[in-house]
Amino acid sequence: MTVGLPHVLTLAALLFGIGLYGALSRKNAVHVMMSLELMANAVNLNLVGFSRFVTPEAMTGQFFAVFSMVVSAAEIGLGLALVIAIYRRKRSVELDAVQELKG
Amino acid sequence: MSELLLLTPELLVLFGALLALFADKITGHPRAAAHIAAPLSVVAALVAALIGTRGGIFAGMLALDNVSVFARVAIALLLAFWLHWVSGRGTGGERSAEAVALAMLSAVGGMLMASARDLIVLFISLELSTMPAYVLMGYRRGDARGLEGALKYFLLSMLTSLIMLYGLSFAYGISGSTAYADLGAVDAGTLGQLAIAFVLVGLFAKLSAAPFHYWTPDAYAGAPASSVAYVSTVPKIAGVVALVQLVAAFAGNGGTITVVLLVGSLLSMLVGNLAAYPQTDLRRLMAYSGVAHSGYILLAAAAGSAGGTAAVFYAVAYAVPSMAIMLLGSEEGTALDDLAGLAARRPAIAWASVVWLLSLIGIPPMVGFFGKLTMFTAALDHGLVWIVAVAVTMSVVSAGYYFKVLRSVFFGERLDARRATRSTPAVIAYAALTVVTLALGVLASPVLEFFGLRF
Repeated sequence: MTVGLPHVLTLAALLFGIGLYGALSRKNAVHVMMSLELMANAVNLNLVGFSRFVTPEAMTGQFFAVFSMVVSAAEIGLGLALVIAIYRRKRSVELDAVQELKG
Repeated sequence: MSELLLLTPELLVLFGALLALFADKITGHPRAAAHIAAPLSVVAALVAALIGTRGGIFAGMLALDNVSVFARVAIALLLAFWLHWVSGRGTGGERSAEAVALAMLSAVGGMLMASARDLIVLFISLELSTMPAYVLMGYRRGDARGLEGALKYFLLSMLTSLIMLYGLSFAYGISGSTAYADLGAVDAGTLGQLAIAFVLVGLFAKLSAAPFHYWTPDAYAGAPASSVAYVSTVPKIAGVVALVQLVAAFAGNGGTITVVLLVGSLLSMLVGNLAAYPQTDLRRLMAYSGVAHSGYILLAAAAGSAGGTAAVFYAVAYAVPSMAIMLLGSEEGTALDDLAGLAARRPAIAWASVVWLLSLIGIPPMVGFFGKLTMFTAALDHGLVWIVAVAVTMSVVSAGYYFKVLRSVFFGERLDARRATRSTPAVIAYAALTVVTLALGVLASPVLEFFGLRF
């Protein structure tokens, strides 16, 4: 069996789904961020897959994936800084514990 | 080299951001960063206006059309007003140098986003304009409520940008290119329409349009009002430009996009205007008002190219008075009762706030009226009669909660007559924002002619 574009897209969609489910259902801020990372990886897989199978001569998708990795790393770094700042105040990273603001 | 020169405004602001980090160490003045950065941003705006329109920079990754130039100038000018205010008032006890640098970086992202013609550039500049906003929202490190608001903002914003990125990856896969020019091929199959819907999710969240608005009131209510003044206005202008240009690029059959935009518009107008009524905190009230205004903007974005231009103009028309009100809230206190008796204490500012609020309602001769007129006309020309009727009704409804603010300003009794200390730069910032609110309304046609905008 050769691996084709549908396989890559299916794997990415599964990863994305697991990540989305985790991001929406988890109550721990760090777990939510790990789920978000999973979604980011699914996107990167998608981009690299499309690059390999749709435009193999141009490397657009791979460049896109590299930029996306850098951006999500920076974003997670910022998010963890926020979580640490909250942990210092509350001694907890459970999202239920930080529920003072009510929309 | 000559192409790099076209990015002089962005480079100036970027230089200002790097300078701001060290300015107070070099000069020894605690608010030197804002003092240096504000005039630099004005220069950037002037240079952007001088450069004017140019097509295809960096092999077509960026392009400066009339709308982008208008947005660039508007972003740089609003940044300058905000920085000028900060140079007088600071950022509520915290060091202001980092806030200045972050706001400027976010403005660089916004200016690039306005001229992006490639999905990769769009994504990076979008993140550049949003990421500093997380930090600004949680700028008071000791304040648990502010951090909670910032965390909520961060989690929802990252989630929606990843959904958007997932959509962008499919858009790239289907069209085989990341250039806007090739995106017309996306709106063909089910997958393409799904991709477009995903991309719109990300942009809706950036504009805090319903149903992705629920982080907005919480994040704003916890954040320092001076940060809200920036975050709720400047990145939104860039977001609207990106939305309008993406909608134009995707518009193959146009079916999915129009439906999604109109549903978002209707929800935002209803939720924003009705939920704003019971609010007693200026930041929450303005958050819901922002949701409502995003609703009007989405309506115009669904109305073809004329509507798109009107949407960008209205994004600026919303941002100017809205920034002024949040800055005032940062000075006087953000509960509506804090504004009580403002007319007796500071009559000039009180009358300026009348101008700002009437502009947000859409009463002539302020810019809000002209903006709404052009948007609704474009939508009517596009045959969206019933939803324009809803929008006009909702504009009238919105007068109720804006007048609640004015009632507090003019007729509210306040027991502790705390006087804010005088601050000339802040007063100049208010004056500038008021003049722009009036001038864009009265002199709308020469301004539009200068930028070559047509509806």
